[in-house]
Amino acid sequence: MKTNNLNNKKPFILQMKSIYKTFPGVQALRGVDFNLYSGEIHGLVGKNGAGKTTLVAILMGLQAPDAGDIKIEGHQVKVMTPGEAIKAGVAYVPQRVDLMDSLTVGENILAGQLLKDKLGFINWPDNYHEAERRLKKLGLHLNVRSRLEGISMAEQTMLVIAKAIFSNAKLIILDEPTASLPRKDIERLFGFIHSLKEKGVAFIYISHHIEEVFEICDRVTILRDGNLVDVCNVSELTMGKLTAKIAGENIKENERKSTQEDKPVLNVNGLTRRGFYEDINLSIKKGEIVGISGLQGCGVETLGKGLFAMENRGIGEVEINGKPFLPRNPRDAFTQGLAYLPQDRYHFGLVGSRTVKENITYPVLKRFLMPFGLIKNSDESDLVAEYIESLGIVTPSHNQTALLLSGGNQQKVIFAKLAATRPSVLILHEPTQGIDVRAKQDIYRIIDELGTQGVSIIIISIEIHELIGVCDRILVMYEGRITHEFLKGDNKTTSENILLAIEGENNRNAIKQK
Amino acid sequence: MKNNLLHKLLLALFDNLIWIIIAVAIIIFSLLSDKFFTIFNLVNIIPRVAAIGLLIIGQSFTMITGNFDLSSESNVGFTAMIAGLLLATSENGGLGLMWPTAVVIPIMLLAGSLVGVINGLLVTKLKVNNLIVTIAMLMILRGVIYIINPGVSATKFPGSYNWLGSGTLFKIPYEGKLVSFPVSALFVLITFLVAFVITRYREFGRNMYAVGANRNAAEAAGIQSNKIILTVYIISGFCAALAGLLTSGRMDTATPRTGADWIFQVQAASIIGGISLIGGRGNMIGAMGGMLLWGIIDTGLNLMMVDPLLIDLLRGLLLLFAILLDTYKVRYLHSLAVNEALSDTKIGLKHKKLIYE
Amino acid sequence: MLLNKNDFRRIILDQFLWIIIAVIFITFSLWIGFDRFLSGTNIINILLHSTVLGILVIGQSICLLSKNFDLSAEGTVSLVTVIAAFLMVPTSSFGGGGGYEISPFIVIPLMLVIGTIAGFINGRLITKLRMNNFIVTLSMQLVLRGLSYIISGGLQIDNPPAAFNWLGTGTVGPIPFAIIFTPMLFILINWYLKNSYFGRQLYAVGSNSEAANASGFNSGRVVTIAYMISGFMAALAGWMLLGRVQSSYSKLGAGFTLETVAASVIGGISLQGGLGSLGGAFAGVMLLSVVDNGLNLMDVNPFWVNGIRGLIILLALVIDSQKMRYKLKVTPQSQPQTQE
Repeated sequence: MKTNNLNNKKPFILQMKSIYKTFPGVQALRGVDFNLYSGEIHGLVGKNGAGKTTLVAILMGLQAPDAGDIKIEGHQVKVMTPGEAIKAGVAYVPQRVDLMDSLTVGENILAGQLLKDKLGFINWPDNYHEAERRLKKLGLHLNVRSRLEGISMAEQTMLVIAKAIFSNAKLIILDEPTASLPRKDIERLFGFIHSLKEKGVAFIYISHHIEEVFEICDRVTILRDGNLVDVCNVSELTMGKLTAKIAGENIKENERKSTQEDKPVLNVNGLTRRGFYEDINLSIKKGEIVGISGLQGCGVETLGKGLFAMENRGIGEVEINGKPFLPRNPRDAFTQGLAYLPQDRYHFGLVGSRTVKENITYPVLKRFLMPFGLIKNSDESDLVAEYIESLGIVTPSHNQTALLLSGGNQQKVIFAKLAATRPSVLILHEPTQGIDVRAKQDIYRIIDELGTQGVSIIIISIEIHELIGVCDRILVMYEGRITHEFLKGDNKTTSENILLAIEGENNRNAIKQK
Repeated sequence: MKNNLLHKLLLALFDNLIWIIIAVAIIIFSLLSDKFFTIFNLVNIIPRVAAIGLLIIGQSFTMITGNFDLSSESNVGFTAMIAGLLLATSENGGLGLMWPTAVVIPIMLLAGSLVGVINGLLVTKLKVNNLIVTIAMLMILRGVIYIINPGVSATKFPGSYNWLGSGTLFKIPYEGKLVSFPVSALFVLITFLVAFVITRYREFGRNMYAVGANRNAAEAAGIQSNKIILTVYIISGFCAALAGLLTSGRMDTATPRTGADWIFQVQAASIIGGISLIGGRGNMIGAMGGMLLWGIIDTGLNLMMVDPLLIDLLRGLLLLFAILLDTYKVRYLHSLAVNEALSDTKIGLKHKKLIYE
Repeated sequence: MLLNKNDFRRIILDQFLWIIIAVIFITFSLWIGFDRFLSGTNIINILLHSTVLGILVIGQSICLLSKNFDLSAEGTVSLVTVIAAFLMVPTSSFGGGGGYEISPFIVIPLMLVIGTIAGFINGRLITKLRMNNFIVTLSMQLVLRGLSYIISGGLQIDNPPAAFNWLGTGTVGPIPFAIIFTPMLFILINWYLKNSYFGRQLYAVGSNSEAANASGFNSGRVVTIAYMISGFMAALAGWMLLGRVQSSYSKLGAGFTLETVAASVIGGISLQGGLGSLGGAFAGVMLLSVVDNGLNLMDVNPFWVNGIRGLIILLALVIDSQKMRYKLKVTPQSQPQTQE
């Protein structure tokens, strides 16, 4: 059902037709269409890996499509460079704003276009006036003389948008703009976007916050697995229908026998960190697999890192196997029985330029120590061989550079590393991110196997359907608190309900977790 | 709001730290030596460090864009030696050409700027790490000085050449003696003023800050960062040549060691003067304060007849101190931003112990 | 495949070194004459020249592998040699020491300890206080040299006792001991780095300190140890140097810094950290020594030699920065990050 246009009068500002794009090992876009009117706010939604990023990258000139047409304002556009995209009126507002923070607001606006007098000297009062004037035209009131450090995040985002408009952007891509903004600022931002919409600026609004899509978008395009699922008018949708389209079908539910034992392995009591999470209580049994999901900024990412001692944990008590868990750093965490798989594989997960063997044994090297700090290579190789086999890591040799493996195999290497530390608790952060479908099944098999062996596992992920397939319980975090709990096999445990919970719906009925 | 006032106070403190330190230094030295706070002594402060002051200008320009030019001290010696060779008679270490000052000075400035061009191209076109490249140039140039005038110093320059470095503008009678106000002091103050105007009121100056603050954002705004960086290196080379002129004019000699070991003082003075290591921050007035501080410390320690070798040690320590300050300033500003974001959220508010980062 | 091509190019850039050495060797032999250049005495000269530099390069390479510079090593050399001479040499009107006449058996360990402590201070300032390693070690150099000025009073001290000098001037038959010592040190330490816990940590921290930390390493401690090793090596080099020139003055050791970085970089130790091996660094040292020796035999003005050395250094740096460009291509595509 391709419901398209409400107002036939408004011209198309962007028409993308039948866009195909393949990367090694994964087909990112399969014949996707995307259209945008001037003055439209168009949401672009879908799970991670659905193709949103790729589509936008092509529009910005960072990638070239394998096939398909792009027309901007009616003109056919061949392969674009980023510079050409900007000239054509495409602007991108990243999640983390990219401004010059030691300079003033006014200077940020007028950088490269400062007003000068006849002799070429800068007249600051005139410049600040001009900056204010431009902002006022957009209905924005900021202190142009204050340094960037003095204005709020929301104001910085609005500033970036303003700058884009001053550079004659006709089409602005907003990438998760509300991720770190408090509620009142979000309203302000939306007001600003609305006023720009009246002036004919078009927006592509990428977000995981379904609530916001309903609040601000006119139409929404849903992608899934590189396919275009639907393009709808927001007015004709409900939250439920939309989440259903996004979620699609669940992956095959593993007939996983519950291998939990009754003793709690991990106990978290009243964990609080100012600005991130509050009063977190968890009790996880041996062999239990618990999923925790939430929007960006809900605090769950920081919670994971905090437990692993990569960041400040805050106050509150944590116990593993009945003993106080007080790591000062990741090494302590490993020793005391907790391991963590980071979301960002390349920066935190692997030392890319080193070998597979080395990456697997880093935390447990001390087991192979001989006198004088030397390493017993044979024992080490044995361990590595064992894990390569049991996890099914595809690599030409132990000494292959880790970076050269496929995404899925890289992830398996990290799993091997963590498993080798024989953890009681394993925290996984988006374990299947950036991995193709076949490898994902492998990863879940590994997770399953680890659970059977008695490891308690926490999976932090926004891939709700994946969580449903593998977890015994799923917790939802919203604005720093655990608000819902969904049990496996329960009627209420559906993608749609969980998605709604993540959005903060039914907050009043929040179930606190013991 | 209480937070805001304290924050503004601290920020003002950090920005003007140099003037506070200068005040403290003046007080300390006046107490330690009664000869310090006399007009004869005070008048001497700037000429001693005028050449360093020029280098500070050049170094600040590059640092504002987020780069370093550690070769400038050798550039000083290099240009000074070129001038010396062209000016002095053969008995006095020169080539015996005895060219007129009006020809030699432009040649010096050109030579210094050329070194800047080479530095700039290596950093922008070949994208070599700027720290290493300028240190390599530091050593290469020092070698070149030896090559063009092996082990010999050139002296006895014409008065017209020495005027800038050691000349007097006017003399004033005071307590029965004549106090001379040096040309170099006025010159260096004017140069700082010009530098200040450029950085504050010229587009080029603002672009320097933009590039240093966030190179990507600057490029996105249409600023050609490579051109800016190349230009500041040329300016740094030009300033080094001026410094060469000042110092060889003041000493009436150009030796193979002219300018040697200056780089630490220049760095320290710039950093204490508020020019941050990370780029995009600091102003020329503060940098001038750095020069003044250096002059004060130098004259003060000399008056107290401190062993010059100890002075070197102290300079090294001061540099370390300067970096510490800068590091803390940057971290403080960063934590301010973090706390600003934290104060907006309500999460964790109920707990009595408010944990700030 | 894109990756293969870049890998290939990187390999060529790495082996470049040996090709260059061979070419230079041949060129010099032809120019100067085989009998002069490749004579036994001359080969020994080349090797001897490289012995002190070599020890310093070991220290610098280890720091570079951890992605840090140690620009203070020459200051350490200066300080420990001055202290050693001061403690060992009897007083006299010229070239005399402090008159304590302490035995080398005490002084030598003392030197090594001092060097290690200097390295420790560097390490702490850089890791705990998170100060820029370049400027910190640069200022430490000044401080150390300043200290040595103070202790020596700017005067030189001559003639350390014979028992002290054996590392610098001792021989095994016709061959100077140093020629065996330094290469053996390289081989030993290189092997150790490849097969030890510390070596693994070093390479991991230098390549990606965040991932290393997430894998349970303590990058701050590893870096500090690297600096301590560098300080130790500087003291060791000082011992050899003083034993050879048998005269200490606070300017001793000046100019070594850039050469050590150059030899390391030429030898394949990348400034990006975690890449390269001591074997390559040794080749870098040999290259510089051969060039030095050859140019000397050709009666080239010593100041030109300096200039040429500077140019070689620049070339090595340019090549290394090109290597860095290729590395960037191996990491994942630059797409806008929708999920952080």
